[in-house]
Amino acid sequence: MLSIRPEEDKKLREVLTALCSESRAKVVFLIDKAGQLISRSDAPAYTSNDITFASLTAGNVAASEALSKLLGDKTLNHAFTETEDEGIYMSLLDRKLILVIIFEKFASNLGIIRVKLKKYRPILEEIIRKIERKSEQEQQIGKEINFDEIDIDNLFE
Amino acid sequence: MPLINFATKEINCKIVYYGPGLSGKTANIKWIYDHIRPENKGELITLATETERTLFFDFVPIEVATVKGFKVRFHLYTTPGQIIYKISRKLILKGVDGIVFVADSQEERHDANLDTLDDMLNNMKELGIKFEDTPLVFQYNKRDLPNILPVEVLRKDLNKWNYPDFEAIAIRGVGVIETFKEITKLVVQKLKK
Repeated sequence: MLSIRPEEDKKLREVLTALCSESRAKVVFLIDKAGQLISRSDAPAYTSNDITFASLTAGNVAASEALSKLLGDKTLNHAFTETEDEGIYMSLLDRKLILVIIFEKFASNLGIIRVKLKKYRPILEEIIRKIERKSEQEQQIGKEINFDEIDIDNLFE
Repeated sequence: MPLINFATKEINCKIVYYGPGLSGKTANIKWIYDHIRPENKGELITLATETERTLFFDFVPIEVATVKGFKVRFHLYTTPGQIIYKISRKLILKGVDGIVFVADSQEERHDANLDTLDDMLNNMKELGIKFEDTPLVFQYNKRDLPNILPVEVLRKDLNKWNYPDFEAIAIRGVGVIETFKEITKLVVQKLKK
């Protein structure tokens, strides 16, 4: 279980927003390999279905990793998808998480993205390691959330 | 692996529908998607071939809000059932919090049920997912078709561990909600612990 506290969420958002701004990207997402969104940069002008985007990106990276293994490489470091106007750059953090940077091709390019990522990668990896260490020690999650309130019966019409 | 964010007050869990080809995994999540309240569901994504066989996965997020403001989001996935997609099935199991095994009740598909269950257990082992710690529900689907095996036979051959199980006709919604409720209940119970 990975649990993110408000102060950790704030820190992650700040770093992702700084990376987004300095690399002139539209938005930056941090997701896990199971397809769950962990955090994202502030990007008021950008709207998307983040949940679906995270799931499809994780699927894309998983398939690329499998292709890499088929070719005899043990690891995949990054993957790039290009649309007519936009670039989607996916890079693995600590081999566990996926950093996704979406940029418009007229505003930025892969070179800038990679240079700025080099600067912020160690900072992000350190924050994530701290969150993981803390999550391992936490025992009280079940007491902080009242799981009995979850009402599945009312979900259906 | 569940993800809990105390800032956005969200809990995310991953549930995977696993089973042989054409056993009704996609029919399950399509029925859930069609009958759930609009405010509780996200977009249904289907990565399928031209003949509507699942190529990679289907995905739909289901959200449940609690009184104290926490939102629990269940990410429902299906796996591609056909034998050739073994690698894809393993990729989708990554980070799973609960599994629904959808078996085909037809006698002629029982070998496929057994092979797919072995495939699932192997994939879990290779990914380091502890079988005994993973919430699991069995569903015996297609109970309306001729030439089906008695539930006792399916239970004896597939559900050796006595996990909760349900009979279903997924295409008509029979047993679909019961299965879904049970797996979500088990996943939430595990979170509590």
